[in-house]
Amino acid sequence: MPPSFEVIGFLGIMAVSYIAAAAAALLFEDDRARRVTGLLSAAGALSGMGAAALGLAAGGSSVLELPSALPEAALEFSLDALSAAYLLLIGLVGVPAAIYSLGYGPERAVGAVDGALGRHSTGWRPARAIVPLFLLAMSLVVLANSVFTFLLFWEVMSLASYFLVIGRGDSPENLSAGRWYAGMAHAGFAAIAAALWLAAAGTEAGRFEEIRQAAGMLAPAARHAVFLLALLGFGSKAGVLPLHAWLPRAHPAAPSHVSALMSGVMLKIGMYGLLRVGLDLLGGGPPWWGGLVLALGVVSALGGILSALVENDLKRLLAYSSVENIGIIFIAVGIGLVFQSYGMAGLASMALAAALYHAINHAAFKGLLFLGSGAVLQATGTRNMEEMGGLIKRMPQTALCFLVGSTAIAALPPLNGFASEWMIFQSLLAGAAIPYPLMAAMMAIAAGTLALTGGLAAVCFVKAFGIPFLAMPRTAAAEEAREVPRTMRLGMGLLASACVLLGVLPFAAAPILSRAFFGMPGLSDTPAAFRLGLVMEAGAGASAISPTALALCLLAAGGAIPLAFRLAGSSRALRRAETWGCGRAVQSPRMEYTSTAFAEPLRRVFADLYRPAKTLDIEFHPESKYFVRSIQYQSRIRAWFEDAVYRPLFGLARPLAGTGRLIQSGSLHLYIAYIVAALLALLLLARWM
Amino acid sequence: MALLFSKMWRTGLVTEDLPSGGDEGLHLARVVEERTRRLLGRSLAIREVDAGSCNGCELEISGLNGPVYDCERFGVRFVASPRHADMLLVTGPVTRNMELPLRKTWEATPDPKLVVAVGECARTCGVFAGSYAVVGGVDRVIPVDLFVPGCPPEPLDILRGILKALDRLPRR
Ligand code: SF4
Repeated sequence: MPPSFEVIGFLGIMAVSYIAAAAAALLFEDDRARRVTGLLSAAGALSGMGAAALGLAAGGSSVLELPSALPEAALEFSLDALSAAYLLLIGLVGVPAAIYSLGYGPERAVGAVDGALGRHSTGWRPARAIVPLFLLAMSLVVLANSVFTFLLFWEVMSLASYFLVIGRGDSPENLSAGRWYAGMAHAGFAAIAAALWLAAAGTEAGRFEEIRQAAGMLAPAARHAVFLLALLGFGSKAGVLPLHAWLPRAHPAAPSHVSALMSGVMLKIGMYGLLRVGLDLLGGGPPWWGGLVLALGVVSALGGILSALVENDLKRLLAYSSVENIGIIFIAVGIGLVFQSYGMAGLASMALAAALYHAINHAAFKGLLFLGSGAVLQATGTRNMEEMGGLIKRMPQTALCFLVGSTAIAALPPLNGFASEWMIFQSLLAGAAIPYPLMAAMMAIAAGTLALTGGLAAVCFVKAFGIPFLAMPRTAAAEEAREVPRTMRLGMGLLASACVLLGVLPFAAAPILSRAFFGMPGLSDTPAAFRLGLVMEAGAGASAISPTALALCLLAAGGAIPLAFRLAGSSRALRRAETWGCGRAVQSPRMEYTSTAFAEPLRRVFADLYRPAKTLDIEFHPESKYFVRSIQYQSRIRAWFEDAVYRPLFGLARPLAGTGRLIQSGSLHLYIAYIVAALLALLLLARWM
Repeated sequence: MALLFSKMWRTGLVTEDLPSGGDEGLHLARVVEERTRRLLGRSLAIREVDAGSCNGCELEISGLNGPVYDCERFGVRFVASPRHADMLLVTGPVTRNMELPLRKTWEATPDPKLVVAVGECARTCGVFAGSYAVVGGVDRVIPVDLFVPGCPPEPLDILRGILKALDRLPRR
């Protein structure tokens, strides 16, 4: 069906605003450009959300085809409920990030701050123009309705984010991050292109409807190949465990509002691709598809949070925690696929709605945390938590926002992380109903791992909040930190309130999100409901307690406890005393819990996984061993896992690349010769046929 | 791990019976337990402060925690921070270096709190009296509720002192 006037209007405004934003960044002078670009990008993201709301409300899909000379290269878009949900997600982070960017980095050249020592700069004009293009590309990827359109904008999205990661390209750290990212993004692109072309082999123009119809006729081996390739490609974009290596490198290198977009939104586009291809185009498959996704999810969730725990770089910590959350989302997607393949439509819809819900929630709180880390970065000039401390007194509003994000990501009620993880737990526990013991056991294992992950995430974010914000400042830079400009606080505040709203209104959010899967094969068309009971039965609503009520209870308890004490006649005398510092005469920041020390117990417990390397050098006084001149202690955790996976790959790729260079010499003449040769070959071929 | 368990197995139980007069120890500890329950509604948390003792007193205090008395089973617990404590158990003459820390510890202990000074030194500085390094008895630095005499006092004496000091807690 053709799109309604309103939908075209909203999408048109979105595209025009983004393009205008990019143009403004190039045309105007520094301060003006930042303002105009930021506001136009926010407008674009907002109208994208408008279109998304219409799409979710309407259901079905509306298709828009742009005229083109070649049928294979026609740009074709469609807005169905699934795209609409992701468009909503893009807007959810896009609007606050754009507002945040208004104040980000004007006083100091952000360059001096972002990227380790790098002079990475949002002040660099082309970089500022790329952000709206990045948003536009992501929006068009989820709207794409043909293989060509999808691949085209997918690549634009990857390239845009690549340029945002390398920035001006003069910091070695950013360049290396960019190389990792480009390599993995393009390997992923190759896998995705292969998957989609394989799926579209028998169709005329590679439209998604055609693939959907032809998918039934595909040979089983081809279907499996398409799914596996798609999992590889989309998995590398989403950052599931063995394919996550680019993530902890690229996220810290990019400016913080871009990190928020990359982590909060772009990873989810990978998940979108998997849902679109695996569920929508192929219509689901055998149980092992879901089992594989589930297993990847479990490994990523645990591996991600374990890596985050021992990280001292705030943004790297957040990046690793994104790996964990993508793992949680993949767990939910995996359960959904498993249920679907066993014909349990209601449970499948529930699990997938939970996956989508967690994706949106993660976008909200991880976006918030990245924006918060950017604020800290701008105020202190460092990403190293060991050099912060005491920021809560200096930047109270940022601290509050960061606390909301940390509580949400640790899945504590009544915030949004709790709501979606609870739904995922319910789905996992319902997995006991699967008649195949092996699969049911896998669900139980996944539930256990998810619980462990949740606990570790809580520890990790006690550290991520406590070390930078509490106690005394550890350095002069932290001492002199000041609250960030109002626009940045507004951006964070928007996301913080989204975290609270999504958390206390899950019974409203869950049914809406489950609409995204209406009409897909093997899924139910009744909206999923959010319940607080431990085990779900279809139609059981009697024991439902809403998180809204829970939130009110918590608030009431917060007031009732002091009141009860007052009534019981406890004394009101308040005595202020110094923080207990073991009775020492002066307290200095050197006595504070450091980030490394905080993680040390867990580092020991999981020593077999971390394999930490330690060196201890003690220089004694020549006279007596009882007098020590200096002690040097070094402890390092090497990502041995990445070495094990990627070393052999590099070894393999390097000679191949060497051979490839023979063809791509960089000489223009040679390239013209290639074009001529290709043209001649084609003409001959046409003649001969 | 295997080593640990084999050692536990081979060593067996080493707890001795209470020495003569042991029944009194048991009785005392039970009374302390009963009284703290009544007064505090929970067990008694003690923070030990060595203000400069020769460690003879500490030896006897750790006797309270050893296998013979094992006071923790009666709810007398030694804690790691004054923030958790109801009672300070201070030993030794207060040395110049420990004056400030002792006062800070006292300030850090939440009200209502008790101070029991253990040993002769805590009251009169004992053999250290007159030394250039000591400030004086514990009561020169912080208010003391009760002195336990002896050089060093026996665990039973210390327990009696704790019991007596408890009487000074305000009624709930
Ligand atoms: S009282 Fe006796 S045992 Fe106790 S500290 Fe003084 S000298 Fe040592």
